[in-house]
Amino acid sequence: MEMLSLSKVEKRFGTKQVLKNVTFSVPEHTIYGFVGQNGAGKTTTMKLILGLLACDKGEILVDGAPVHYGENKTNRFIGYLPDVPEFYTYMTPMEYLRLCGEITGMESKEIKSRSEELLELVGLGNEKRRIKGFSRGMKQRLGIAQALLNRPRLLICDEPTSALDPAGRKELLDILVAAKKETTVLFSTHILSDVEHICDELAFLHEGEIALQGKLEEVRHMRRQTATEIEVEKPEDARQILSAFPDMENVGKGCVKLVNPKQLPALLHFLADRNIAPVRIERMEPTLEDLFLEVIGK
Amino acid sequence: MTAFIKKEWMENVRTGRIWILLLLFGLFGVMNPAIAKLTPWMMEVLSDSLESQGLVVTQVTVTALDSWVQFYKNVPMALLIVVLIFNQTFTGEYQKGTLIPVVTKGLARPKIVFAKMLMLLAVWTIGYFLCYAITYAYNAYYWDNSVVAHPLFASFCYWLFGVWVLTIMTFFSASVTSNVQVLLGTGAVVFGIYLLGLIPKLSGYVPTKLMEGMKILQGAVKPADYCVSIGTAGVTMVLWIVSAVLCFDRRKL
Repeated sequence: MEMLSLSKVEKRFGTKQVLKNVTFSVPEHTIYGFVGQNGAGKTTTMKLILGLLACDKGEILVDGAPVHYGENKTNRFIGYLPDVPEFYTYMTPMEYLRLCGEITGMESKEIKSRSEELLELVGLGNEKRRIKGFSRGMKQRLGIAQALLNRPRLLICDEPTSALDPAGRKELLDILVAAKKETTVLFSTHILSDVEHICDELAFLHEGEIALQGKLEEVRHMRRQTATEIEVEKPEDARQILSAFPDMENVGKGCVKLVNPKQLPALLHFLADRNIAPVRIERMEPTLEDLFLEVIGK
Repeated sequence: MTAFIKKEWMENVRTGRIWILLLLFGLFGVMNPAIAKLTPWMMEVLSDSLESQGLVVTQVTVTALDSWVQFYKNVPMALLIVVLIFNQTFTGEYQKGTLIPVVTKGLARPKIVFAKMLMLLAVWTIGYFLCYAITYAYNAYYWDNSVVAHPLFASFCYWLFGVWVLTIMTFFSASVTSNVQVLLGTGAVVFGIYLLGLIPKLSGYVPTKLMEGMKILQGAVKPADYCVSIGTAGVTMVLWIVSAVLCFDRRKL
């Protein structure tokens, strides 16, 4: 069952085409990573899903129901964490969650118990101050509590980890993984290690188009095969290797990279014959970063 | 919607707006009779310097009417302050992005407009009639309110004029992005209609006629003369609110 699906969505701001033919779908109970550079159109896509902006073309379905701009019936199933969440600064976290709970029509008792549980979860359990004095990281935490309050069926997070320190980032990723049991998560980011840690599926958005999408493992192996990097002590040894194996790439500082794994035995023979002692031979797993750079053409 | 009204109330209390306004309206309420009461004394103090300029001060008698004159001089100032304090009711939230979580939680947009409008009306109504009640009570104590005609109706007219201005302000706050635009838009519309009212043929129809509370008190005009302008104020108010809802519905947050 698909929790969210976008088909052929297009959006332009004035003359600028921000999204072109964006099509992807998010199955239930998955964590879906939405990756792209700054300005690729990630936030715009999310705002379209939330009905905060109007689509020019295409259709968006949340749990089978179409999204219409301005109306927001489908938002009742969605929890949203904006990239820079802003709250009413004169309220305490507990009061803010009560406001959110009342808007979504939760029972008073449930609001209380759920708020306490969530504030504890995000590490704001003992925070009785008003939001005015909160750091950006604390606001991000309150944002995630607010988004999870009404047990949404779809959780949308816009770059949730970008304002957090390493410890806070790990905690937030853990919260998302824990949330997967109850909900479906769509989160945008440009931090690729976050995607590698927690996502089941992902899509690369580049210049308003989906450049690549699929399950994490599939995407990872879409790229060329595993490479091997060899480091030698003397720069002339590296030059020797490169002249014998013209396919290899010079990575600099006495390092060369073998892209075709079939050549590895021959290379090792070559090293042994010439008496070249390598400092390091390393098998390079393809990273999302390589893939990302390849996709964006750098 | 009650949740959002509670939020608006909390905002007004915790940012201190409500206290400032209550203080202000209370102060105006006391000032109106106080100035009237002090006028003879001030004249006496100034009489020497006035005499040297060739003005002779004779006995000055003050009635409740003088206090009501002050009321209608001060109340526009109070209305202006309300507009200055509340013009960012929407624009402030647009700039900070605080409405996004509320809307994405599923609160229907028209409810936000109604909640804000209701809170604004409540503040204006309570403040205004507090000021009125204080002035009325002092006037009754020092002088006699029976010298003026229809004091409640006259004050109702100005109150309605205030409501009319506040609906215009709400419309502009919901549809533009900066506070300056709200003030300019509201000011331009009110002033424009005031100018229209200067055309003798139109003067009976425009809502700005409702500002002329003094004429009612002096008995120069009858309450019935205000029926048409009350009607136009009512109709245009509804139009402003409907437009505010429509604009806010289409608005990027």
